[in-house]
Amino acid sequence: MSAVLTTRLKITDLTAETALEAGRRLLPEGVSLERLLREELYLFEPAPGQAATAFEAPLEQAIESSNFFVNPNKERYRFLRSAARGDSLPPPDGAWGILARPRGETRDDVLLERLLREHPLPGLGAIRRARIWWLWTRGPNGDAAIDACHAAIGPVEETRRGLLVNPHAEASLLLRSPLPWSRVEAFLHDLAVAFHAA
Amino acid sequence: MARAAVLQIPGVNCEYESARALEAVGIEATIVRFNEPASVLSEFAAYLLPGGFAFQDRIRAGAVAAKLPAVERIAHEAERGKIVLGICNGAQVLVETGLVPGLKAGRVEVALAPNRAPRRSGYLCRWIRVRAAEGPGRAAFTSALPLDRVAPLPMAHGEGRFVTADPDVLARIEAEGLALLRYVAADGSKATAYPDDPNGAMLQIAGLTNRAGNVLALMPHPERAAQLRHVPLDWPGEWGDRRRAAVGNWAALEGPGPGRFVFESLARRLGVSPREGALAPGAGR
Repeated sequence: MSAVLTTRLKITDLTAETALEAGRRLLPEGVSLERLLREELYLFEPAPGQAATAFEAPLEQAIESSNFFVNPNKERYRFLRSAARGDSLPPPDGAWGILARPRGETRDDVLLERLLREHPLPGLGAIRRARIWWLWTRGPNGDAAIDACHAAIGPVEETRRGLLVNPHAEASLLLRSPLPWSRVEAFLHDLAVAFHAA
Repeated sequence: MARAAVLQIPGVNCEYESARALEAVGIEATIVRFNEPASVLSEFAAYLLPGGFAFQDRIRAGAVAAKLPAVERIAHEAERGKIVLGICNGAQVLVETGLVPGLKAGRVEVALAPNRAPRRSGYLCRWIRVRAAEGPGRAAFTSALPLDRVAPLPMAHGEGRFVTADPDVLARIEAEGLALLRYVAADGSKATAYPDDPNGAMLQIAGLTNRAGNVLALMPHPERAAQLRHVPLDWPGEWGDRRRAAVGNWAALEGPGPGRFVFESLARRLGVSPREGALAPGAGR
């Protein structure tokens, strides 16, 4: 089981603002995009034969006391130890999400190497990274119109359809409801499958 | 005289040198702002989307710019056969519009993913070498570069790795000769590893065209190698020798550099009568 860190800007996130503006222009009539939030997700995996408990305490200390992952002046974060992270990744109230990862390797070995140079963390085996877009949308019937919005501003399939993810470079998962952490881990761990664009 | 529009989107930073490179081969270049009426663009014969960081690369390089009305108009003009060259960030925009490889109209079939090289990540700025292949884009973009010659060009990008998740698209890019320019080793052979292959692109693609051959998404910067003075003094081989021999000779330094072939090819394709010296021997050779 992995420890989890999520980070997001607490100052204005200009990328999210731009995504909001660009996304609104792509939505079908009657559907509104009310809010959009971008989070970075880090999974800290134990080395083979180790448990996350071996490194969680010093890792939490490193996150709190250095600006390696988070600058507290501009970012907020949540660090969840493996035993305290709960069963699943819950969307914020009223939101649905898109979890996106690179199609290639999700391990960030350069980041791991740099982290271990600055903060020795015995037992830490890998850091995997992904991005989550949280969206608050409303359809003509008052529901979230998730499918329509996902088609309009989710993975780019056509020139006029899709925005947040290019599926040739990234794999993505629609987060309609709380997603078990085991599925999040598998999604980041497994190879992204090829598909046929046409 | 043929006229080309260089599209200025917030965040691009190569529009002036791109315009100069076009002017140097006799193409009249006009910098057009992204928010001018899109209809203004129809009067041009060719379009250049320059390098930089359109909309600060927010969301993903090229993703937001690809949805601009001006870019949609350029896509429309491309479908009518007009020429479109996207350099670096401009290439990222073209990929996000689906104009390249354009196997199925309106579909986005490739991406420009973050560079991949052993023990490296992020932005990479260095000179590399490319070689042209036969393909539908040769007449418009590489006719001035003999197929057996290698051209050194500078690259400067973090997301320049052409990828597709669709095996059919990959097969067709190769079979139909859409990988117009590829990264190569100094002797012109296939680039097999970093640094000859700087980013891990599929098929070592540096420049990808559409099937009609009128649109090119090119990651290296030919406008930054359009004059001899752009070549680094320590560059090995013929271009480096020329550069060193030209020290102190302003006229020679202002002469054609290894990136000039792209603009010369464009000029030929547009039927531009060369200005004196514009198509001088040397470019691409």
